[in-house]
Amino acid sequence: MSFGGRVLPLDRANVDTDQIIPAHNLTGIESKGLGKHLFTGMTGGPELLARYEGANVIVTRENFGCGSSREHAAWSLADRGFTTVIAPSFARIFHENAYNNGIAPIVVAASDIDVLLSAEAISIDLETERLHVERTRESESEGHPEVHRHDYTFQLDPLRKRFLLSGGYLAFLNAKIPDVRAWQSARGAA
Amino acid sequence: VSQSLFEKVWAAHVVEELPGGNALVFVDRVVAHEITTPQGALEIERHYGDKLFDSDRIVAINDHVSPAKDMETAIQAKVLRDWAKRHGIALHDIGQNGICHVVVPERGYVEPGMTLACGDSHTCTLGAFGAFALGIGSTAQAGAMLAGCLVLQRPKVMRVTIEGRLGHDATAKDLALYVIATLGFKGGTGYVLEYRGSTIEALSMDERMTLCNMAIEAGATTAMCPPDETTISYLRGRERQPGGDAFETKAERWRALKADADAVYDRELYVDVDGLCPMVSWGTNPGESVALDATVPHDADPASLEYMELAPGQALRSLPLDQAFIGSCTNSRLSDLRAAADVLRGRTVTIPTIVTPGSQAVKRAAEREGLHDVFQDAGALWTHSSCGPCLGMSMGVLAPGARCISSTNRNFPGRMGTGGRVHLASPAVVAASAVLGRIASPNDLHAVSAMTETAVPA
Repeated sequence: MSFGGRVLPLDRANVDTDQIIPAHNLTGIESKGLGKHLFTGMTGGPELLARYEGANVIVTRENFGCGSSREHAAWSLADRGFTTVIAPSFARIFHENAYNNGIAPIVVAASDIDVLLSAEAISIDLETERLHVERTRESESEGHPEVHRHDYTFQLDPLRKRFLLSGGYLAFLNAKIPDVRAWQSARGAA
Repeated sequence: VSQSLFEKVWAAHVVEELPGGNALVFVDRVVAHEITTPQGALEIERHYGDKLFDSDRIVAINDHVSPAKDMETAIQAKVLRDWAKRHGIALHDIGQNGICHVVVPERGYVEPGMTLACGDSHTCTLGAFGAFALGIGSTAQAGAMLAGCLVLQRPKVMRVTIEGRLGHDATAKDLALYVIATLGFKGGTGYVLEYRGSTIEALSMDERMTLCNMAIEAGATTAMCPPDETTISYLRGRERQPGGDAFETKAERWRALKADADAVYDRELYVDVDGLCPMVSWGTNPGESVALDATVPHDADPASLEYMELAPGQALRSLPLDQAFIGSCTNSRLSDLRAAADVLRGRTVTIPTIVTPGSQAVKRAAEREGLHDVFQDAGALWTHSSCGPCLGMSMGVLAPGARCISSTNRNFPGRMGTGGRVHLASPAVVAASAVLGRIASPNDLHAVSAMTETAVPA
């Protein structure tokens, strides 16, 4: 499973779940096929998606995914091929939902977001938890292109990283049922 | 070891500590509604033999669009209904339903010390009972239905002490908006807000629910109020609570459920609300709220201003409105309807005004008091219970550019309809604004009627 790729720069804070997918698109019973609604609640959202077609990494500012618990936000991102969202912070429920749907929610320092927003592509190694960016810039003195390389480290939740890589949240819980029943009997007996 | 209220409830439900600060947390109650439940229920049916950990712990409620508005929402309701019936799950459906966060407490499904989860961010409402109640995604909800547990990062705990007497016309909604504006739209992220203080003790359960309902609007995992006699009186005699000695035995346990005096918190916030005035939101998140008397801040986010078509320094009072809405899990309980009716009694609304009770039980109780006559005499629409236009799904969605004053919880861009603009306020402020057709406090109505009276020739 690949997590790096082309960047869609979403240079705004507090992108809420109503902007990611408006509630009038929550009328289905399946988690598939919601990509067509992605960012339709955001001013300029559909244009941004068209302009960065093929992008699979979103770089954005603080508090991404705030608001509703709707997992449709993660489903619609995943359906459009997004595998990574990089932000200085996430809302709790979106953060959990991302891990359960193959989307890596990567937290970096707010001061690093400007560089990442201007990157065309980002390579991501989930195993070593490192980001790598190469930006080509005209050199100010010489006038010829210069390649700037930036490396960042990040930390994922070690348990949820397993869910992210294997989609195994429900399988994990299913395997816990005997333990939960035993705990419950012990609690009842106490 | 001294523990906060949250820590006591948490510790009593941890089945297993897991890597990375996570825990396997037992869930006493799962609330399932038609928008976020079908996906997980179908997943369990397809891959886990349709088994549920304990169907008695689940309550299913068709609430968001009920009755259905079209074929798609009819299918959602049918999937929830069929699934509930197949598993013998308690079901509240058309005619006996309402917004899940209103139905759950009024039927006594929530109680102090309980853990409760629902695929709905406003589940934090139920923290008012001293329960650990939180919103989760559909997959997490499915896990709780399948295995009786959630995988959760242990949240930090912020003790929020509220002291002081609210000013005239200020309500729990104004308190909620004030706390969010103080804490910031994401200031509570990663925390459980543990409320305490004389102001909290004086609040009714309806008011505590309004306050806790909006904890998510500060990013908090949830909020909790310490259970007390107000909590116990509310729950006594509720449908899902036992009667007689069995209830009193539980009540004794709840009385003992409180934070230790020397409990240590990750953060402390002290909020003085003495003389607090009615609040109103001006921006595109609930943290962007100020006193109704105030002006749009000079350091306002330009994107919010552009969306709301407002300018820094502009007065909020007297801003012309296109619609008013009283409803939602924040402010649709009987006391909210009474507050709105007190303002509307003998007056007439001048803009389209929709009043949507929080449950069918609230609707009937309101009608027994004649509140439906007050609303309809005033020219407002009195509807059945539903989430309705709060989230732009049905029953009063805004047109692009329309400005609505609303007793709901979110003013996000497009929340009540693409391009619609939302100002959050208390039911009393919404009612007063509906009369004048512009943002107003109930006190402004007195000023208007006084002027009218003086103008009448003797």
